[in-house]
Amino acid sequence: MFIAFFIGFFVFWEYSVIWFDIPRYILTPPSLIVEKGAADLDRLLYYTYITGLEVVLGYSTAVVLALPLGLAIAFSSILKRTVYPFIVCIEMVPKIAFAPLFISWLGFGLLPKVIIVFLVCFFPIVLNAILAFNSLSEELTLFSRSTGGGVWRTFIKVRLPAALPQCFVGFKYAAINATVGAAIAEFIGSDEGLGFYIQIVTGNMRPDLAFAGIFFLTLLGLSLFGLVTLAERLLIPWHISVRRG
Amino acid sequence: MSHQIEFSGVKKVFGTGASAVHAFGPVDLSIAEGEFISLLGPSGCGKSTLMLMTSGLLEATEGSVLIGGTKVKGPQTDVGVMFQDNTLVPWRTVRGNVELQLEMRGMSLSANKDKVDQLLTSVHMEDFADRHPYELSGGMQQRAAFCQAMVHEPKTMLLDEPLGKLDAMTRERIRSDLQNLWMQERPTVIFVTHSIEEAIQLSTKVAVITPRPGTIERIIDIDLPFPRDFEVKNSPEFAAYVRETQEIFRGYGVI
Repeated sequence: MFIAFFIGFFVFWEYSVIWFDIPRYILTPPSLIVEKGAADLDRLLYYTYITGLEVVLGYSTAVVLALPLGLAIAFSSILKRTVYPFIVCIEMVPKIAFAPLFISWLGFGLLPKVIIVFLVCFFPIVLNAILAFNSLSEELTLFSRSTGGGVWRTFIKVRLPAALPQCFVGFKYAAINATVGAAIAEFIGSDEGLGFYIQIVTGNMRPDLAFAGIFFLTLLGLSLFGLVTLAERLLIPWHISVRRG
Repeated sequence: MSHQIEFSGVKKVFGTGASAVHAFGPVDLSIAEGEFISLLGPSGCGKSTLMLMTSGLLEATEGSVLIGGTKVKGPQTDVGVMFQDNTLVPWRTVRGNVELQLEMRGMSLSANKDKVDQLLTSVHMEDFADRHPYELSGGMQQRAAFCQAMVHEPKTMLLDEPLGKLDAMTRERIRSDLQNLWMQERPTVIFVTHSIEEAIQLSTKVAVITPRPGTIERIIDIDLPFPRDFEVKNSPEFAAYVRETQEIFRGYGVI
């Protein structure tokens, strides 16, 4: 059903360009996107690699830093009263607005993009981690205490597994943000990457190549999201969202 | 018989000043080793509060609780606690959940494998050992939770309305499983319930608790033979105990 609709969409696109006599520099049919995209495959693949690198570096740095911070805030009343409100405030700031600044400070290279990806991923992970580690049920808290299992054992055997589903909400949200952040950061200032590519070819009135760039960007986003979903399936197969999904 | 658990002047007040709520007590109560005592009372009378104070998970405002002659200060580890909402975790199987109790205490799994098997068998759960809690009915979950609460062979068991959320027929069946477990292991049990029949069927003693602030109105010795099966439950003696208890609550306007 879905596949039929999907194919129908592209067929309609293909022929509407002819029927409505749309100039090629405005919109190109999918067949031409494939053809011209294939001709420029080397550049597309290289730029996918560049943007992918920004996404992976920014995302994994965010996970590695945000998870322990979320954990620390969840268990420290001092951090909860100082750092936590600060993070909530910063979350309100549109991180992407910092992109021009980072580029002016750090140049056109990889680093400012990695930082932008990091920023758009960091906050959802932190906030969900705090929620996750603060949500252990009263019964399980009492149960853990009644066993005398201590902080570490309680963490490993009860708190951590109980927190994973909510953590994954953050991981998935961040995965969606990551490619968006990378593409916009590249729009603002870069000489490589899919965002750069889309901007340049659009300027040259080549919507065919722009769509090819968008296709690879989508592929990148889907791959990251797919990987996170796979990890979720492996780590929390017992959770209701995974069982129903 | 030695007194396994002793409450002297135990009282609990939540909050301070004008907003303070006197939830429970003062209560004096002695429970002998191997006894099965039910705390029977209406909702909100502080039964659960007493249970938490016994396990050391909640501090008494006044008075003291002694288990085996030692004053309760902080969480007690030689007790098995069971809450109305069970403490089965969804990421472990039934067996894994029972083993969680052992693992949390640093007890050997291999040395206790037979114990786990035997417990699961005694509540007819041996065929469901590798299932996850979400694959089970509410009744089966509670059976598994019983095993989890007693696998470490605690001398004292605190059961807070463990059958509260089950339908009447399932309750009936699990009561007899619970009775068998108790007869087999003979721990001292404090059982919280608001079912008069349940209390009388299972207990050696029933402590009738008044509405808030909960105090012990009367302790009724239930002098009926174990196991208390269908025959016993339909005996005139059983009916007389039910009647006696009902009269107390009617006096309070609870029923």
